[in-house]
Amino acid sequence: MTRDAASRRRWRDAPLALAMLAPSLVVLGAFVLYPLARAFWLGHQRCDPTGANCQSNGWDQYIDVFRSKEFQQAFGVTFRFALLTVPVGLALGIGLAVLADKQLRGMGFFRTVFSSTVATSVAVASLMWFFLLNPSVGVLADWIGGVAKNPGLLQDEGTALWAVAVSSIWANLGFTFIVVTAGLQSIPADLYESAYVDGAGGWMRFSNVTLPMLGPTLLFAGVVLTSRAFQSYGEFDLLTGGGPNGSTTSLTYLIYGNNSIIKNNSGLQAAVAVLLFAVLLVLSLLQIRGVERRVHYGN
Amino acid sequence: MSCKVRPALAGATLGCLLLAACGSGKSILEAGNEPRPTTAPVTTLPGQTTVPGQTTVPTAPPTTEPRPIDSLPPCDIAALDEAAADGPVEILFWHGMSNELGRELERIVGQFNAAQDRVEVRLEFQGGYEQTIDKYLQSDTDNRPDLVQMPEYTVQLMVDTQSNVPVQACMEDAGYDASGILPTALDAYATESIQWAMPFNVSNPVLYYNKKIFRDAGLDPEAPPLTLEQLGEYGRAIQSTGAATYGVAFDSAPDGGGGWFLEQWLAKEGEFYSDNDNGRSAPSTRVLFDGPTGVELLTGLQDVVATGGGVYVGENPSGTDAFLKLADASTPASMTISTSAALGSVLQFVEGGIIPGIGVEDLGVGPMPGPSGAPGTLIGGASLWITAGRGDAEAAAAFEFISYLVSPEIQSEWAAATGYVPVNAGAVELDPLRSVYTADPRFRVAYDQVAQTPDVPTSNGPVLGPLREVRVTAASAMAQIMNGADPQAALSDAAALANALIADYNSRRG
Repeated sequence: MTRDAASRRRWRDAPLALAMLAPSLVVLGAFVLYPLARAFWLGHQRCDPTGANCQSNGWDQYIDVFRSKEFQQAFGVTFRFALLTVPVGLALGIGLAVLADKQLRGMGFFRTVFSSTVATSVAVASLMWFFLLNPSVGVLADWIGGVAKNPGLLQDEGTALWAVAVSSIWANLGFTFIVVTAGLQSIPADLYESAYVDGAGGWMRFSNVTLPMLGPTLLFAGVVLTSRAFQSYGEFDLLTGGGPNGSTTSLTYLIYGNNSIIKNNSGLQAAVAVLLFAVLLVLSLLQIRGVERRVHYGN
Repeated sequence: MSCKVRPALAGATLGCLLLAACGSGKSILEAGNEPRPTTAPVTTLPGQTTVPGQTTVPTAPPTTEPRPIDSLPPCDIAALDEAAADGPVEILFWHGMSNELGRELERIVGQFNAAQDRVEVRLEFQGGYEQTIDKYLQSDTDNRPDLVQMPEYTVQLMVDTQSNVPVQACMEDAGYDASGILPTALDAYATESIQWAMPFNVSNPVLYYNKKIFRDAGLDPEAPPLTLEQLGEYGRAIQSTGAATYGVAFDSAPDGGGGWFLEQWLAKEGEFYSDNDNGRSAPSTRVLFDGPTGVELLTGLQDVVATGGGVYVGENPSGTDAFLKLADASTPASMTISTSAALGSVLQFVEGGIIPGIGVEDLGVGPMPGPSGAPGTLIGGASLWITAGRGDAEAAAAFEFISYLVSPEIQSEWAAATGYVPVNAGAVELDPLRSVYTADPRFRVAYDQVAQTPDVPTSNGPVLGPLREVRVTAASAMAQIMNGADPQAALSDAAALANALIADYNSRRG
């Protein structure tokens, strides 16, 4: 077959390919691409509170929003939140998964417990932590004392973000646990056996067999957890309402929150949302490109 | 693992450096605004300061004439009679009343639907006030309800949507006698001499206190503090006698101690919160809460906490933190200021016996203490708005339902079940409310506060388009002051941001 014929044939197939892709294209277009384009357009406008009457405010609105005090502070909060939750969440997930990866009686019970937070909604998890940490009636407040009692971990500027992070780590632990457990089960047993024969101890086997073989899993979990951290909203809304004094106003809270000063300003909200999208895109690319080189995908 | 951490840290450091270099230090509200897209006059001047005594002088001449009612969507009451001949007219009603409040509203709506066959009301709970506002603003006429309940801080926002039949149009067409409705409650929802909405559920801040602790401290449990000075004295007495760890528990929530109460306190002192008579003679251009009265007030509150008379419980995002401080087993407070609408729920909670040592009879309710102890309050709560463009019969049906809701009989039932202040004075003379007020005077405190409110312009609260956002700025100042910041500096910063919010809103409006 000549190249021409091949090319002709490809073109002949195009309508069929298009027809088969159409359903997903329509869905993608209507629910992802169109809203994204609209949000991008809206981000250079200023609208009245109903969002019906808009006029252009120049594309430099994006730059000014990025450089503004509020965006920079919210970006810092979000970045710190991700730095707090992702590494700790991953480490705890790996630890629990390795602990539960034993062929022992009753292990099913522990696996169920460790993965149970997957079935817990953000709202439920947040309310639970709200009452645990409540300075007046919370169980933890009397144990910890000090700032936990007055004004409370969620109401002190220095501790609020940490307290929200704890709740978020707990709520995401089930997800990490399940993903890592699946990763562990795909590691061939003969690798452990040969490591054992070579005289490797428990820690050596973990660091030289388990961790490298988990690479793809951890990359996946890391990217997902980072993007979740950047998009977390429920925790902030229910635990702190963006406070105290803006110390937990994340980018998503700046966009949606009831206590955001741009809550009825859809142009600025869209600008922040698009910038959050751009930041996440760059971050995910960096993570994947930077870490992928070190990831061992096996064969 | 260590090789993965290093680039992450390097990235973080780089990110932080980049951000520091990028930051303009300007507010997000100014984004893209050189030059400003519209020519709307911005009257906030750089370095503008408040001159003592200026608060009663409008800073800009009134620019809006009283709006003629004819220029607004009309209300044709007779349209309902025609439409109802072919069967009941169905109307959709969005509300934000949760829990017991929502259940009582459901009961009343059911009762209305069963009692007549002209109007069928379909009730839809939206999750709360904020959700109702968001959904209403973002919907177009076809997707809006025929009737919506909106909280008191949305008056200007709603007027600017130009999407309503003013209830005044219906009142006039129906020849409705509004003399029974509390005048201050009506006035709260009137601007530019138009009655936009009908007050439905009215609440205001009251003092909740623990009578047992008062007795232990040698204070009269039937004489709660009326001034802020007394509030501090009582608190210190409670602390020094060891009756409780703290006196009053303050919060800085935007819809509580941080934002709403500031409006209340300024009104109690006969001061405006924003210029142009709280935005009621012309749109407000700036806030006045950073004036001498505001500074003196917050300095006083700061002193109460600093001298041991009170405790600061934070921003109270859940609305329960200040109450829970009264229930604290190890370091309790003995008083807090909160909305009267919570009384029913609080009593129910206490009755459940969850809090050791506090019984239903131990909970006292007093008027909201203010700087000088003057009585009176601003109208809190929510009102009912009729949506325009949904049909004459629908608008008339909505008004018929409104008339039912604010009738003395229904207001008596509603107030007795919820603790809200009845908007119809006749309700107080009728059972069940009459017997509730006699049996439990605590329910009457909020009503008396409304009844004692002086009939002066400052008794009508501020109408600002971005009032909710302005409350957030005031709440932020309150939080800083409670943590020891200089009151004048914190209030000036908050006022500058509030003024920017107002200017931004006015430039985006219509």
